[in-house]
Amino acid sequence: MKKYLLGIALCFATVGAWANEAKLPKIELPTSPEALQRGAETVATVCLSCHNLKYIKYSDLSGLGFSKEKLGALSVGHGLDDSLMSPMSAEATKQAFGITPPDLSMMAKARVGGPHYVYAFVTGFYTNDKGKTDNHVFPGAKMPDVLGAASAKGEERTAIEYKAKEVAAFLEWAGDPKAQERRGLGRYVIAYLIVLTILLYLVKLRTWARLKEHHKRKHT
Amino acid sequence: MINRIIGWVDQRFPITAIIKHEATEYPVAPNLNYWWNFGSLAGVVLVLQIVTGIFLAMHYKADVTLAFDSIQHIMRSVNYGWLIRYIHATGASAFFAVIYIHISRTLYYGSYRGPRELLWWTGLLLLLLVMGAAFMGYLLPWGQMSFWGAQVITNLFGAIPLVGGHIVVLLRGDFSVGDPTLTRFFALHYLIPFIIAGAVVIHLVALHTVKSSNPSGLPIADKDNIPFHPYYTSKDLFGVGVFLIIFCSFVFFVPDAFIEPDNNIPANPMQTPPHIVPEWYFLPFYAILRSIPDKLLGVVGMGLGIVILAALPYLDRSKIPGGSRYRPIFKALFFVFIADAFVLGYVGAHPPEGPMVLIGRIATVIYFGYIVSMPFVSKWEESWLRKRGLPAPVQKYLDEQAAGGTK
Amino acid sequence: MSDSKSLDSPDRRNFLEMATGAVGAAGVAAAAWPFVQSMNPSSDVLAKGITEADLAPIPLGESHTVAWQGKPVFIVHRKPEVAAAMQASPGGKDPEPDQKRAKKPEWLVVVGVCTHLGCVPSRTEEGWLCPCHGSVYDNSGRIIQGPAPANLEVPLYHFVGNDKIVIGEA
Repeated sequence: MKKYLLGIALCFATVGAWANEAKLPKIELPTSPEALQRGAETVATVCLSCHNLKYIKYSDLSGLGFSKEKLGALSVGHGLDDSLMSPMSAEATKQAFGITPPDLSMMAKARVGGPHYVYAFVTGFYTNDKGKTDNHVFPGAKMPDVLGAASAKGEERTAIEYKAKEVAAFLEWAGDPKAQERRGLGRYVIAYLIVLTILLYLVKLRTWARLKEHHKRKHT
Repeated sequence: MINRIIGWVDQRFPITAIIKHEATEYPVAPNLNYWWNFGSLAGVVLVLQIVTGIFLAMHYKADVTLAFDSIQHIMRSVNYGWLIRYIHATGASAFFAVIYIHISRTLYYGSYRGPRELLWWTGLLLLLLVMGAAFMGYLLPWGQMSFWGAQVITNLFGAIPLVGGHIVVLLRGDFSVGDPTLTRFFALHYLIPFIIAGAVVIHLVALHTVKSSNPSGLPIADKDNIPFHPYYTSKDLFGVGVFLIIFCSFVFFVPDAFIEPDNNIPANPMQTPPHIVPEWYFLPFYAILRSIPDKLLGVVGMGLGIVILAALPYLDRSKIPGGSRYRPIFKALFFVFIADAFVLGYVGAHPPEGPMVLIGRIATVIYFGYIVSMPFVSKWEESWLRKRGLPAPVQKYLDEQAAGGTK
Repeated sequence: MSDSKSLDSPDRRNFLEMATGAVGAAGVAAAAWPFVQSMNPSSDVLAKGITEADLAPIPLGESHTVAWQGKPVFIVHRKPEVAAAMQASPGGKDPEPDQKRAKKPEWLVVVGVCTHLGCVPSRTEEGWLCPCHGSVYDNSGRIIQGPAPANLEVPLYHFVGNDKIVIGEA
């Protein structure tokens, strides 16, 4: 039966393996509130020109620790209850790029690799041998190289990479704003379940011990 | 006071008698191992799915323009909506994991053998019902995988000669998977679990009639049986605890393990994702479907993959009782079969290119080979074992059987 | 079958089993909490708990109705003589001074839901009359006669400047 367990373990291993099929560089995402706030600012000022984040409201951003003033500055011209929507309409962007830019609120969940994909994409622009800008991760991407990754070198490149990490970290938050609450609660739940399971195991042991005593008595 | 209430009820409804018959005096073999925990565990998961499902239905909207948004509303705005939805989504996978282990145990120990044929068949019926519920439930988030999964699976019925096309349209209520499909899938997804609950009662009545099998495969004398409660209630509850630890680890720490990234993109009937995969629990059957290079035969093969298991009680012709305990070849073939199911699952998860095609076909042949060869292998194994000399308990059992037969 | 009675008599239930039962019951109760909470208003519903109302377009002596949390709120621009009369009157069966009900004498803000069974009262010269069961309210929203037990509710609100109020927060 041990082989059998091994088989089940292997099954889970393959599930994990094919989820990460695309070979993306694993980056270390910044986790500080400041980095997430800067990511939010980049998204609101750059990405939001064309993309929407329809599931995120300006008021939701207070969850990142924005001060009231900063939030006010970020949401200027909008109510706090408004979603983060591009000033360009879907038709206008479609005319400009040939496609409607995808909504970004779920971007870090909707791609294999999640935030790592986001990072690899926005930093993945390069100038190909025909002198045109293309993308390593998504060849033929319609999106322009907004951070200027294709031409940047040295320190400039490092700054862009850091910015991209902040954006990736922010989009990961946007895709799953309850993640922190979830993990926090999860620790208590697992701790409780371990205690309960140990108790249940002891009850089981004691119950079955009674059966063995009974048998012994019967046979002597 | 409590005794008086129980007495009052007992005169009108046999509550004490039922508890005695089904729990405190229900006789169970004393040697069941932990693989026998998975039946009650499946019941626990069913309850979990029904409860979380009802609460999700309070917030979900079965309308193609609202469905995806309503899931995000549940995840982001509803109090603890994320928890309830992640339990439900993870619960679907947990359900199949538990059921498949339960079925594997049945195969390993030959628990499907007479007199447990009806128990085995109601179990297979339950598997089909759970598959139906899972398939319909998967459409509800209205993501890309939801849509294209439903599109492909409903299209399978198009393989039926003559009327196939009409049946596909009838199932969908539209020419493609659309709003009518979503609404009816929601209605049925809410209904089927209650049918499952009813079928579980039938499964249990059958179980309590023929009693549980046991690892030895030999019948246990009545004097050696022990009551279900408290022995197996305590053992089952401990199993539930272990299960919940594993289950909650997924729910709280890797809840997206069983949600394809593509399903976080709203359904787009104009664009198929480059690589569509069913949920892991359908993969072996999906691989069988793809391995047979004919549409109709592929669909038939996939269906047979489950239905043919119902014949096992009659295909297993060995007189040696039970399953793997006293039958080394039966045991070896069981492991071949399980390994083969994993290979099929692996093939099903990958695009049908290169070696995958051949591996898939070989695995399909082995899958059906295990079942079809059972009558011959079981007979041959029996005569081989008899020649080698049977272990004493088995010989004793067979002698008793023979004596009983001549009476 | 082994005799179950001698093995499992209730008096052999020990501390361990009781403790396990208690821990398990506590877990079940805690697990019920998220489900109960999920039925309470979601965060986007709560976000709609605040309504801003502009007072400038309401002429003297008129009443406007705005929606707050899905309920009608009456905003009455009271004439000075009406306000004075109300301040002089103690109210009916649920006496309450008008000064406590109106933050400014010329503006009365009340939830337009009859305290009897929840119908919306209609405006009269003297105040309101509930069409369902005939409860009569005065121009301070106080119950004067009829089956309603209490005065019309004054919601939480505050003035922003002179001609704007925010209903839903103090």
